[in-house]
Amino acid sequence: MVASLVPQFVPAFYQSMYATALYGGLIVAFIGLIGIAMEKRDIQVLILTDIVGLAMLIVVAAVGTDLSEALILPGLVVELAEIMAISEILISREMRKADKDTSFTPMPLDINMEIMTTAPNFIALLLIGYGVFLSGFTGGAVAGGGIVIYVLSRKARGLPIVVLDGVGAISGISWCLWIIGFLLFFLLPQYWLLSLFLAALGLLLKVASKIGLIGILMREEYGRK
Amino acid sequence: MLLENVGGNLLGTIPLGDIVLYLNPLHIFLFVTILVFTALIAMSRTETQVEAMFGSLDENKVAVGKKEFKHRRFLAIICGIATAGAMITGDLFNFTLFMALIGIVNIGIVSAVKQVEVLNSAYQYGLIAMMCGLPLFGGAAMILAATGTLSLLELAAIPASPMMIFGALVMLIGVCGESGIAPFFASKAEMFRTPGSPFILIIHLSSLFIIVRFIEILLTIL
Repeated sequence: MVASLVPQFVPAFYQSMYATALYGGLIVAFIGLIGIAMEKRDIQVLILTDIVGLAMLIVVAAVGTDLSEALILPGLVVELAEIMAISEILISREMRKADKDTSFTPMPLDINMEIMTTAPNFIALLLIGYGVFLSGFTGGAVAGGGIVIYVLSRKARGLPIVVLDGVGAISGISWCLWIIGFLLFFLLPQYWLLSLFLAALGLLLKVASKIGLIGILMREEYGRK
Repeated sequence: MLLENVGGNLLGTIPLGDIVLYLNPLHIFLFVTILVFTALIAMSRTETQVEAMFGSLDENKVAVGKKEFKHRRFLAIICGIATAGAMITGDLFNFTLFMALIGIVNIGIVSAVKQVEVLNSAYQYGLIAMMCGLPLFGGAAMILAATGTLSLLELAAIPASPMMIFGALVMLIGVCGESGIAPFFASKAEMFRTPGSPFILIIHLSSLFIIVRFIEILLTIL
């Protein structure tokens, strides 16, 4: 890293870390590539490829500015999306080789434990309440986690799940709230508090319902067996 | 090298806060061409492959179902828009993101086909694209570390240092791998052997355009 670009208050020790981190990342990637070259099974190759993706994160993170952080986020998302897409292709290929339908059913659980009758309700309520209190993206993730726990534990006990088919519509409408909130920020800055709450609550509903949708998808997958 | 020498005269800039788009004849030509092609794709219908069967006079038609057709058309339009964005951007950061998006969408377009060989080559291409995420993002990060900026207008003014040249070359490897051109082409060529012609063609066209644009970027910043 060029010394003249780095602000004065950054200690010399941290500046000298850049080369170390860069070489570290490249070595990690090299180890991953050796593993890919030696491995023959497809699923193992896919898992080992993720090591190269992690090495990419190390190389980008070594720069350590806000712009590099902005590069890390899409990099991570791209890695995740690609690994999901490729594993989907792998599943589809293997199913087609075996001449089966491509719908992939995970383990059909049917566990009846006493703790699963009371605890999930309480935990779900707690998580949803805390999520609403947090609001925004984090709150949406927490509340959505609560919904998923509730749905999964009910399903694991073999009980019918409350129909959540309208959740998709809530997700779409709250997405509009979020966009309206953002527009108000630019058009009428004096109503910043209103637009802040619109955006925060819209995002809360959006993310929570999106994660809740995982529960619906899972129910459909289970129902198909 | 000066900006004016590569893509023609600088026609103007569009400053959107930190993001500054700069326009010259090459960019505008590439941008309009890819948008026209995307519009054609959005309107067109998919082809049906007819294969002659061996040892008889029958033929085997490989058609694309309606659901798969819609899925493919959507992804092809996204791919066209991402390519158009990469053509007009004045920022190495946005270029990297558009490139990564094109890589994913290319896998997505062929992910729903039924032929096992096509799925196999899509899998191989996906692995290469994932591994080339390292040189792509890593190269951009090295250029950032060497110069402190990713804006092409500013990079053009900074004289090239060895680290910047190294970063740019690493990024070239990344772009080659993500778009699946020459050294990595063997994995991608099989992907075209599936029905659904106009949507499959955007995979090819996007990689061609991306390479032209990236060579222009390299000549500009080095």
